[in-house]
Amino acid sequence: MTLFVIQDCSLLIRTSGLLPAADLRELRDRIAACGGNVLFHHFFETPLRPTFDNPDYRNDFAVWAKLYLDDRVLAERLGILDPYSYLSLDELRNMVLGLIDERLKELTLVPRARPGDEFFFQEATTVVFDTGERIRHPRELAPAIRGMTNGSIYYHFLEARRRSPAGKDDFSSWLMGDGKKYERHIHALASIDLFFHSLAHLRADLLRALSNMESPG
Amino acid sequence: MSAPIAAYEGILGSSVVTQLRRLGGKLRGIRVVHVNSTREGGGVAEILDWMTFLMRDLGLDASWEVIHGTQRFFEITKAIHNGLQGKSVTLSKKDWRIYQDVNEQNAERLRASLEAADIVVIHDPQPACLLKLCPNRKGKWIWRGHIDFSRPFGPVWKMIRSYVEKYDASIFSMSEFAQPLPHPQFLIPPSIDPLSEKNRDIDPAELETVRAEYRLDPERPLLVQVSRFDRFKDPVGVIRAYRMVRKVAPVQLVLAGGGATDDPEGKAVVEEVMEEADRDPDIHVLLLPPDAHKTINALQRLADIVLQKSTREGFGLTVTEGMWKGKPVIGGDVGGIRLQVVNHHTGFLVNTPEGAAHRIRYFLHHRNRIKEMGEVAREFVRENFLLTRHLRDYLTLFLTIRSGRNGRILYV
Repeated sequence: MTLFVIQDCSLLIRTSGLLPAADLRELRDRIAACGGNVLFHHFFETPLRPTFDNPDYRNDFAVWAKLYLDDRVLAERLGILDPYSYLSLDELRNMVLGLIDERLKELTLVPRARPGDEFFFQEATTVVFDTGERIRHPRELAPAIRGMTNGSIYYHFLEARRRSPAGKDDFSSWLMGDGKKYERHIHALASIDLFFHSLAHLRADLLRALSNMESPG
Repeated sequence: MSAPIAAYEGILGSSVVTQLRRLGGKLRGIRVVHVNSTREGGGVAEILDWMTFLMRDLGLDASWEVIHGTQRFFEITKAIHNGLQGKSVTLSKKDWRIYQDVNEQNAERLRASLEAADIVVIHDPQPACLLKLCPNRKGKWIWRGHIDFSRPFGPVWKMIRSYVEKYDASIFSMSEFAQPLPHPQFLIPPSIDPLSEKNRDIDPAELETVRAEYRLDPERPLLVQVSRFDRFKDPVGVIRAYRMVRKVAPVQLVLAGGGATDDPEGKAVVEEVMEEADRDPDIHVLLLPPDAHKTINALQRLADIVLQKSTREGFGLTVTEGMWKGKPVIGGDVGGIRLQVVNHHTGFLVNTPEGAAHRIRYFLHHRNRIKEMGEVAREFVRENFLLTRHLRDYLTLFLTIRSGRNGRILYV
């Protein structure tokens, strides 16, 4: 089995250069025009950012619709989107635009945020660095995860799904290298519901999924 | 004196410290110079104190320089500060000349060090024009704006912008403060040091000493606002909120703060506050020296509710400090306070003295919520607003800006 190379990462957030959106139509137009990195940031990178741990929704557009447009219907529709279930960012973008268009047709007035409550578009660079640590055997995986930084967990379990063509996390991809031996654990990893998790909670779920690694099958 | 990086393992776990060591290892030996305008008073000086020390502890060759200026220079830069936070101010050509002259004098003293540095971080507007005075600079220059730039007064921002736009990058605390500039603008909230004199755990006996020193009644609820005496912190609004609550509950109020050497307006604000307090024995206006960290720590811990009713706020480190001590915060619905205070979870955001009074009364009637929200607030700070996260962001920024790349993923 190949060695598992433990990477670590840190997020550096910057402004996108897009004008802020003050109402729902402006939000729609900016989402239609923004780069993929912007969309990625507001959907995927929220767990690595200083944000409150128990938000109602995991993507920034749903949170903004609820808190600042006071449009709970749209917030619920956007909030349930699972960004990892889309094959590409453009597919995700089209889904979001469709939901906003649908909502705009339902409303007689375009919802607008107060001055100061506009939506600010951001993007980020994920700086990835080799920790120098390696995992040699699957039985070492759970102890290694216990000691990993949040950055490592994000990189290997969340970010990996966008990186690998198969949409798999790095732990599962590595375990699959041993054939079907760890199928149960791979299935358990795939069953983790990412929706409401902070990275700290995610670590606990990973450890549960990988428990009894010594008794594969 | 700051603690070495290893000391933070007990609070944050070893993985957080390990990550910082790895990042530091990638930047070992690079020369970093921070420049600001005061070594004492205010959040920026506190941040630079620990940041410089910890960067050195992680292997960077970091130093901190302070520009020197005349009383008139600091009056001008205070007006610039107010203008950048949205106040209409008048600055003459002569004032801007003085601003430049003082920077030129400082450039003479600092030029060799700044031009040789790999990274220079200039904090706030006071030293902003140093960049153009260092034409042979070899490193990357970053401008860090700590205040609330969301609605700057046009003429002042126009002038400061002419200096700032030449930097390689800028840093703001949140995207609401960022301005159109021709370089990358990074978003890095500030933080507090949990092991500093102002935030470390305190022996209960020490708390009681401070309580007795300021004659605070242990039997009655205590409201505390700690901040510079600055109109944007709205101390007068806090007194008005207190008076509304006082009609129905026997609360006490502490307004504690000091001045900073770069803030000449404080004296006038204190006079306004004293007038508003009108010798009420339950309003304690405390003018504390810049090193009264332990007293501030104790007052925040003695508080039942921490207030920060600012009308403009860059970030509000006193909010972070209060939350770290397990207190819910009633804060102004502005600037960085909105990043920290989450309604019904870590405190309440308010817009008026009436709003503050209403939320104080809510807490006094739901005492269990003080404890519950205080615990959530402390954990929220632990995850997001302690110095280790802040330091990690800076190190990540240094790696990124030195690479010259801006893609979604950067392997270093």
